[in-house]
Amino acid sequence: MQRKTLRRWNNAIHRDLGYFFFGMTLIYALSGIIMNHFKSGDFVHPDYSKKYEQLTVELPAGGLADKTYALKALQKVHEEKHFKSYVSGTGYIQIFFDNGSLYIDLNTGKAELEEKTPRYVLKEFNLLHYNNIKHWFTWFSDAYAVALILLAISGLFVLRGKNGIKWRGALLAAVGIIIPVIIILLYA
Amino acid sequence: MIKKLFLLAIPCVFLLASCNQASKQAEKTKADTATLAVLTFFDSASNYTEKPIRIEGTVVHTCKHGGKRMFLVDGTDSIRVEITAGNNITKFDENLIGSRVKVLGVLKEERVDAKYLNEWEAEVKKPVEDHSTGIHTGAKGHEDKGTQEKLDEINSLRDDLKKSGTDHLSFFSVEAISYSVVK
Repeated sequence: MQRKTLRRWNNAIHRDLGYFFFGMTLIYALSGIIMNHFKSGDFVHPDYSKKYEQLTVELPAGGLADKTYALKALQKVHEEKHFKSYVSGTGYIQIFFDNGSLYIDLNTGKAELEEKTPRYVLKEFNLLHYNNIKHWFTWFSDAYAVALILLAISGLFVLRGKNGIKWRGALLAAVGIIIPVIIILLYA
Repeated sequence: MIKKLFLLAIPCVFLLASCNQASKQAEKTKADTATLAVLTFFDSASNYTEKPIRIEGTVVHTCKHGGKRMFLVDGTDSIRVEITAGNNITKFDENLIGSRVKVLGVLKEERVDAKYLNEWEAEVKKPVEDHSTGIHTGAKGHEDKGTQEKLDEINSLRDDLKKSGTDHLSFFSVEAISYSVVK
């Protein structure tokens, strides 16, 4: 009787926490995929997808890389209407436009065009994942982390019988623990 | 009833007093704030450590690991000023790159000594590196440096430290309280 009540409480906690933190789970899972691939070097930036193109542009007449030259160089990539600013350094100029930049080697005329597209929505999810918001979100995400622990533990006891923790559940949970342990032992 | 109102009035008085104090503090900060230029920032930075300053420049780089820092230049990128995000700033978005911004912040000094360099070296050699350690220059590709390049940088700083004849090297940055894009 008492075991029955405990299981009922366990399942109710598992169900309600699952419902309540459904949104947070999606946010962390989706931005987690982004972070994973960003850290592995598959993405150059977590918030923007970037495209690079190598090209050759005309060098400035008289060697003067000024705003007129910057606008002319942007014409080649059809971005002159989106000009933002330019910065020059030793032997190069970098011209910024709304969604990217053009980096020109002033010795060779070789240029690299960078175009970026925001990952809408995922960008905001990343903001939450990094906890850039701080303040009260720290507490809310801590509550989510505690809820995940409770979800994991209560999840073990949702089902009874051979599909529960006594056989199938125990086996899968053990494999799920062994895999990260092996990875840590091999690489950490 | 009067008693209840009186009890309610007490926190209100404190609140008003603290607001007044806060606005006085803000006014004082505004009056005390020096305006520094990017091109001469490093000449005068040591005089303003831990003091509020204003600075204006073009954003050339934002940190892609969470957007916690950005770098300002003025015309040429031979001098880059590091701006870090204070508590009230969520991030410096990549979209700021190329924009001219005005920053209000507190000037910070980071002292790099032999112990710091040893700890940085240990961090670089770890399989999973913490990107918040080390000196950030904002130069093109500085976030994508390999382990060997970072170790070379650390050794070069060790040489600089030896040549300086002091026990530390100073790196200055601004911790931003607020910023606005100049239209």
